[in-house]
Amino acid sequence: MQKEVSIQVNGELKKAGENQTVLEHLNESGVEVPQICYHESLGAIKTCDTCIVEVDGKLVRSCDTKISQGTKVETKLQDVKDAQVIAMDRILHNHELYCTVCDYNNGNCEVHNTVKDMKINHQSIPFEPAPAKKDESHPYYRYDPDQCILCGRCVEACQDVQVTETLSIDWNSPNPRVIWDNDVAINDSSCVSCGHCSTVCPCNAMMEKSMEGKAGYMTGMDQKTLRPMIELTKDVETGYGSILAISDMEASMRDAKIKKTKTVCTYCGVGCSFDVWTQGREILKVEPQAEAPANGISTCVKGKFGWDYVNSGERLTKPLIREGDKFRQAEWGEAYDLISSKMKEIQQEHGSNALSFISSSKTTNEESYLMQKLARSVFQTNNVDNCSRYCQTPATQGLFRTVGHGGDSGSITDIQQADLVLIIGSNTDESHPVLATRVKSSHKLHNQKLIVSDLRKHGMADRADVFIQPKSGSDLVWLNAVSKYIIDNDLHDTAFIESNVNGLQDYLHGLEKFTLDYAAEHTHLSKDELIKVAEMIASAETVCSLWAMGVTQHLGGSDTSTAISNLMLITGNYMKPGAGTYPLRGHNNVQGASDFGSMPNKYPGYQDVTDDEVRRKFEEAWGTELSSEIGLNNHQMVDAIHEGSLKSMYLKGEDMGIVDSNINYVHAAFEKLDFFVVQDVFLSKTAEFADVVLPASPSLEKDGTFTNTERRFQRLYQALEPLGDSKPDWQIIMELANTFGADWNYSHPSEIMKEAASLTPLFAGVSYDLLEGYNSLQWPVNKDGSDTPLLFTEGFPFPDGKARLFPVDWTKPIEYDAEYDLHVNNGRLLEHFHEGNMTYKAEGITSKTPSVFLEVSPELAEERGIEDGTKVRLTSPYGSVKVSCIVTDRVKGKEIYLPMNDSGEAAVNQLTSSKADKDTDTPAYKEVSAKMEILKAKGESPLPQTNHRYGNPQPQIGVNVEAKWAREDYVFPGDVVRKGAEANG
Amino acid sequence: MAKAIKTIEPIKKTQEEIRKEALEEIQDALVDNKEAVLGTIDMMKNLEKSGVTRFLNGLFSEADQVLEVVVQEAAKEENTNALRNALLLMGTLGTIDMKQIEPLLLKVNNGVARVAENPDPEKKTGYVELMKKLKDPEVNRSLTILVRFLEGMGQTTEEEERN
Repeated sequence: MQKEVSIQVNGELKKAGENQTVLEHLNESGVEVPQICYHESLGAIKTCDTCIVEVDGKLVRSCDTKISQGTKVETKLQDVKDAQVIAMDRILHNHELYCTVCDYNNGNCEVHNTVKDMKINHQSIPFEPAPAKKDESHPYYRYDPDQCILCGRCVEACQDVQVTETLSIDWNSPNPRVIWDNDVAINDSSCVSCGHCSTVCPCNAMMEKSMEGKAGYMTGMDQKTLRPMIELTKDVETGYGSILAISDMEASMRDAKIKKTKTVCTYCGVGCSFDVWTQGREILKVEPQAEAPANGISTCVKGKFGWDYVNSGERLTKPLIREGDKFRQAEWGEAYDLISSKMKEIQQEHGSNALSFISSSKTTNEESYLMQKLARSVFQTNNVDNCSRYCQTPATQGLFRTVGHGGDSGSITDIQQADLVLIIGSNTDESHPVLATRVKSSHKLHNQKLIVSDLRKHGMADRADVFIQPKSGSDLVWLNAVSKYIIDNDLHDTAFIESNVNGLQDYLHGLEKFTLDYAAEHTHLSKDELIKVAEMIASAETVCSLWAMGVTQHLGGSDTSTAISNLMLITGNYMKPGAGTYPLRGHNNVQGASDFGSMPNKYPGYQDVTDDEVRRKFEEAWGTELSSEIGLNNHQMVDAIHEGSLKSMYLKGEDMGIVDSNINYVHAAFEKLDFFVVQDVFLSKTAEFADVVLPASPSLEKDGTFTNTERRFQRLYQALEPLGDSKPDWQIIMELANTFGADWNYSHPSEIMKEAASLTPLFAGVSYDLLEGYNSLQWPVNKDGSDTPLLFTEGFPFPDGKARLFPVDWTKPIEYDAEYDLHVNNGRLLEHFHEGNMTYKAEGITSKTPSVFLEVSPELAEERGIEDGTKVRLTSPYGSVKVSCIVTDRVKGKEIYLPMNDSGEAAVNQLTSSKADKDTDTPAYKEVSAKMEILKAKGESPLPQTNHRYGNPQPQIGVNVEAKWAREDYVFPGDVVRKGAEANG
Repeated sequence: MAKAIKTIEPIKKTQEEIRKEALEEIQDALVDNKEAVLGTIDMMKNLEKSGVTRFLNGLFSEADQVLEVVVQEAAKEENTNALRNALLLMGTLGTIDMKQIEPLLLKVNNGVARVAENPDPEKKTGYVELMKKLKDPEVNRSLTILVRFLEGMGQTTEEEERN
């Protein structure tokens, strides 16, 4: 609890928190003070001087003055007002008020509102245009120096929140303005298009281009009329009062034509939520909100700008039925009849287990629930799975073994406050960009330590205090060796283990062979590196371990995940804030798809299908008999199709034909199916094999909930009507079930959630009422609606409340013949999502990242004569790809990196094998070797120079306001008022 | 053996069918909104009768040019002044408190009525008669009001000025 002190505000005695600033206190207690540059998510920036008040007899910036016992604050003195007006005058010197014809006039323009609140009617320094031109080079936002008030919010956000470190203000220039890198055009800079700058800009200086000419009633007019109009508005203004009144009126009229809908992003597991502004079907902008629990004001390029696909002409708008060598558009009735009769036929002839169902980690919880209910209650089979099998099941397995809950221990805020963050096999700043910003920011500003273990020198590795590059597939070895070293040297948390952990003896026994020498031999790390890592982990107060596909997509993925959890247990890094294990979920609803039972062995909430009592509960609720036999996972399904025992598949929202490993084998299986139904937004590669394709509606066109990597339920609201005849997945599944006589009557997803919660102790208290707007719940959620942001505070969910150390041994990665001499690492890119069905539809994204590319090390390039643009063929024992290269030191030696964002001849899964994690059948995507041949020595580089990777970031802390204060023409407004200094500045 | 295919054959609808569906959709909308539709037709009848529709048609079909002309015209100095005056006047009107001014207006009305009885009286009022009139309570009240008004008018109003 913060210490309280007594202070005086305008003569009244008040209680305030000791370390608060004066401004924070005034804001909390409702005393109005202008504050243009201050932003609750950015803190004090100290550039605008409008928040000046008198504190203990001196005029000071209230954002920059801490409260102490007895502080006296005056906000109403004439001097205070005078100083504030001077500050505001300087701002209006840089900003032309033409609010009524400004696209930013939406009621939330802070310059407008401050002028109004301060009742400013005139300005003493007239507006003067800036000499620099508007920069419109970037596809998604533009910067207008004529409107820029130099508050520095964008710089603060870029430098210290997003930590891309592209923006700064050149305070030494005669006419300061925001610059990108070392003063290049926006589109040529290191800008990653995350959108933070346009989100936090208090006016129209930094604005989304999608807003231009669209937002207002009169903002779309011709430029030749607009300019005289601006002059006219300025000429007739009788002081700002009446002009602001008219623009206020216009702003409220805009509410009638702009719809603002809260939604949740679908591009990764972080679970960013934000308002999306729409006008008809057109998306005006994505507007993040400070209250969003996972991301606050943050977004990445995909969440902020990657929504064009929703209106793509390639969207499916009618059901398709295969006829010969083409699909024929059909009406829903015909499609349902066909599916119904075919599936009944197969069930009668081959039994229920000849049918299979695949749910999606992109669709909602409610839709996942209905998919497994369809499989189980309508067809009496447990052959239902979802694509978290492709990525995160091993992590869940490792956590179930050791700590009992398969989810992140805490929230993103825990990662933010950890003393040490350990990232293993995660390209976090490309795969989970917003979560990565929290680590980058804590590391930059708050002394957080960072250890990264990866093959590739990615963005997080660049920033790490310690970066280790173990041999591919050897993470378990170093983790166990580090654990052994910690225990051998008595650096473990004995008190924690004593009271909270079982199984130490067996675990120690299992560690015996993992000596430093053994580890050094198999990981190629030095003993010094291992000792350094061990000592950093052991000495840190709190450690968060983050991992992703670099760990899980191996033969021993579950075991390595287990080893991470073991390490956290012996160092006491559970049961407290800022610590624990954080498998980073890849898709928006990887967590929820499994939570809601789309798994062959589990009902919703991880209740076993083999448990008689549980099964009776579901049988009673659903009014049908259920199978007790564990079903097939999606890996086994593909095998079963090849064997001939599986005849039909109903798959939604999953491009399995691209994202599963060894896709040539998967495609062959699809071809063998008797009947295949695919439900998707586009005619995906997978859908090309279908007999019936059903057009689904994406997230913006439906209601529902997603569960993010923090186990957090969040609601999404329908922003647009379904396109054409497409329908939300839950409606399709329900209507299909009813053709089999299921008689389901859900009129809204909230009713599905109610049913699911009533059957699932893990989230018994979840309801749509508690999830209204930006409210969220993190499971477990008790019946009374109380939730669990931090797991395990009361112990672990095992009978005696203690965690379990689970000994694990190393599974050596797949060995390839010597001719396959290159290791093909693979994973995500920041700009594109998965196979690219959605993000390649975004013109702006595609202009900067038009296609996939192969990263080749300078050493290998030299050896083979490769340069940017060289086209090569990679061949593994399972297939081959063709792709153009770029040469970069992000990779080294014979390690190459092929992003997964292609569905054509460069699709990486033509190379991967069907070998999988021994415990969960998650494909070992990361264990691929290939040989390379050069197809064409010279060619155009696949990555244009406008890509951010070629930028030149300029790191600094914040906006460097001290440089502004040091300018000769700057005088603090307080000094102008009190000391009679010259009023320029 | 279901090979991957990409060709989609759209549902073939004859012009007739498309027309029929569209008509059905329109009919549904009309029936669902009967009251609103009939009301609108009434209103349109009136607009047509008074020539407003013709005027608006002209305005909207040439909207860009019209707006340009309007803006250019408005931007002329005398018109800018007129607009500014109008805005100023609107602003000033807004500051008038009708509660305060109502009794005064009633009194002015009475005065006007009295004058209207004989707008151009031939009889002159002499000095003595004027002093006598001061004793008349009605005249005295009027003068007191006028004096207070003058006092008020003399106060500085710089701070409230909007121009």
